[in-house]
Amino acid sequence: MYLIKKNDVKKIAKALEEKYTLYGPYLDEAFGQCFFDKVSADNIDLNAPIPANPPKHVVFPHLETIMQYKYDKNAKKADIAMVFDDVPKALFGLRSCDLTGLQCIDRFFLGQEFVDEVYRHHRSRMFIVANTCVVPFKQCFCVCTDSGPAAQEGYDLNLTDLGDSYLLEVGSEKGKAFIESFNFPKATQEHVTQKQKLVEKSITMFEDIATESKAWVSRVMNRVTTGFIKEEVWEYIGNQCIECGACSYVCPTCTCFNINDANTIAGNTERLRTWDSCSYEGYSRMAGGHNPRKPIEDRRNKRFFCKLSYSQSKKYLRPGCVGCGRCAWVCPGDIGLPNVVTYIRREIHE
Amino acid sequence: MSEQKIVTVPEIATIEEIKDEIVDVKTFYLRFDNKEIDGNFTFKSGQFIMCTVFGAGEFAVSLPPSPENDRFHITVRRIGKVTNALHDLQVGDKVGIRGPFGNGFPFEEIKGKNVIYVAGGIGLIPLRSSIVHVLQHRNDFGRILLLYGSRSPQDLMYQYMLEQWQKIEGFETFITVDNGTPEWKGNVGIITTLFDKVEIPVENTVAFVCGPPVMFNAVIKELMQRGIKDDMIISTLERHMKCGVGKCQHCAIGRTLVCTDGPVYTYRQIKTLGEQI
Repeated sequence: MYLIKKNDVKKIAKALEEKYTLYGPYLDEAFGQCFFDKVSADNIDLNAPIPANPPKHVVFPHLETIMQYKYDKNAKKADIAMVFDDVPKALFGLRSCDLTGLQCIDRFFLGQEFVDEVYRHHRSRMFIVANTCVVPFKQCFCVCTDSGPAAQEGYDLNLTDLGDSYLLEVGSEKGKAFIESFNFPKATQEHVTQKQKLVEKSITMFEDIATESKAWVSRVMNRVTTGFIKEEVWEYIGNQCIECGACSYVCPTCTCFNINDANTIAGNTERLRTWDSCSYEGYSRMAGGHNPRKPIEDRRNKRFFCKLSYSQSKKYLRPGCVGCGRCAWVCPGDIGLPNVVTYIRREIHE
Repeated sequence: MSEQKIVTVPEIATIEEIKDEIVDVKTFYLRFDNKEIDGNFTFKSGQFIMCTVFGAGEFAVSLPPSPENDRFHITVRRIGKVTNALHDLQVGDKVGIRGPFGNGFPFEEIKGKNVIYVAGGIGLIPLRSSIVHVLQHRNDFGRILLLYGSRSPQDLMYQYMLEQWQKIEGFETFITVDNGTPEWKGNVGIITTLFDKVEIPVENTVAFVCGPPVMFNAVIKELMQRGIKDDMIISTLERHMKCGVGKCQHCAIGRTLVCTDGPVYTYRQIKTLGEQI
């Protein structure tokens, strides 16, 4: 554990930039929006608001070639090769919700019977610097989903803004080896206490969205799991949905994908993995036209089932929601997860 | 023989023979180019494979023959982009195969029972491997019945098999068509009309059902009314599958995935999944 000056943060980022492709939060002034993407050490803005997108796309790109083949029709010969991304990447300034989201995706792609090699290649050479949320944002409710405001595990380094300096915690051997050469001054117990106080204060600052929903997520999970939710509630939620898929795309834990073969001008074929969303009508439609999940409420409740049911949570070892609030932020129909929790709660009350 | 599972990179197979079945349905006989795999590729009846048509894409298809046969084949209807491309292929062309995936039919659990097959249209394709298996292990089962219906006599799948099956002693086959032709001498009417004409065993009986959703629902009703229990009704479901290994989630039904938990389900399971067939 070290106590570093504010300027030292950039030093760490610069050192990482030499070995890794650097990803971090930056403020896009033209957009007036914060994004999390490829960035230079100079542009990283740790005080920027929660990025519009989680870092999911770094390990699971929107569109990615997972296999390539060339088929020679005349010779009747096919050459097939998997495509892997071995580029080392550093995620800098990750908030705890997004770090938890990354862990969810890890458990999903790596922790089950089938290990996704394409994902593993992205993930295996990764360095993570987390950033404690000392001030939560208006949309956040990570206190309800046990994913913040401070990261517990899964990082190599963790930064906490103590006001005039940063507390730098080491979370892995890789982090330790990396930071040793900097000879930063060690932090004391006092600084740790200071961090704890800041986190406790942060928890009290959550808006109604979090404090009102707190403790209810588990009850709602119980309801969703046991199926005791009236059809009318799902229908109401379904009617609000316009099937834009935005919630899935900004969700740090949504991993549904489609696979498609695309021919290139060079005569190769690329097997592409693209993001998909269970809210799209075509998602479950079969070639013959039959769609077992035709009514929109069927599709809508599947997403919330994925986030809030115990059986799905087994894949992630926690709820499928990390409380970042992005779905509520982007949803044109007002059915982000906090509202859905509220609708289901309302039913429990009745 | 060791079980060989091809998970990510498709293995190349050659189309050795193509057989026209009915309009828009063909059977492709395949053999792996890799001799090691060719000899060791085994699967359980009821499982499925992912078939790549090079340049077009990949689709999921059930494996109709009994795996005890040497070469394997798939029967495919021309219905979408990839299956259209497959239908355009010739003998000698190559395809890619991944699999086998899924759980397969529970033959051990149903030993000693009467078996009824109820198939509609091309729903006979996924059930065929089960029928072949049961006929090969005839002594393990009681009565064996097949109730099969299609739209018209021209739409009957595997006509050469049906003719053979009708000659097998102890294999009771009943065929119906929705719309007959002057030459058609058999039953006319939807498949449920057969239920009143056939003496169907109820005790100690397992029913395999596969067909279009509308037929499925009607048949289930008939079977249940006759007293066949929901856990003795077995079906193999179809979904829009992409990865085959439980990741892409396209085949999610309730809390299960057709690619890893299915495609074979009992009706008792299907009822609890909370989705349409």
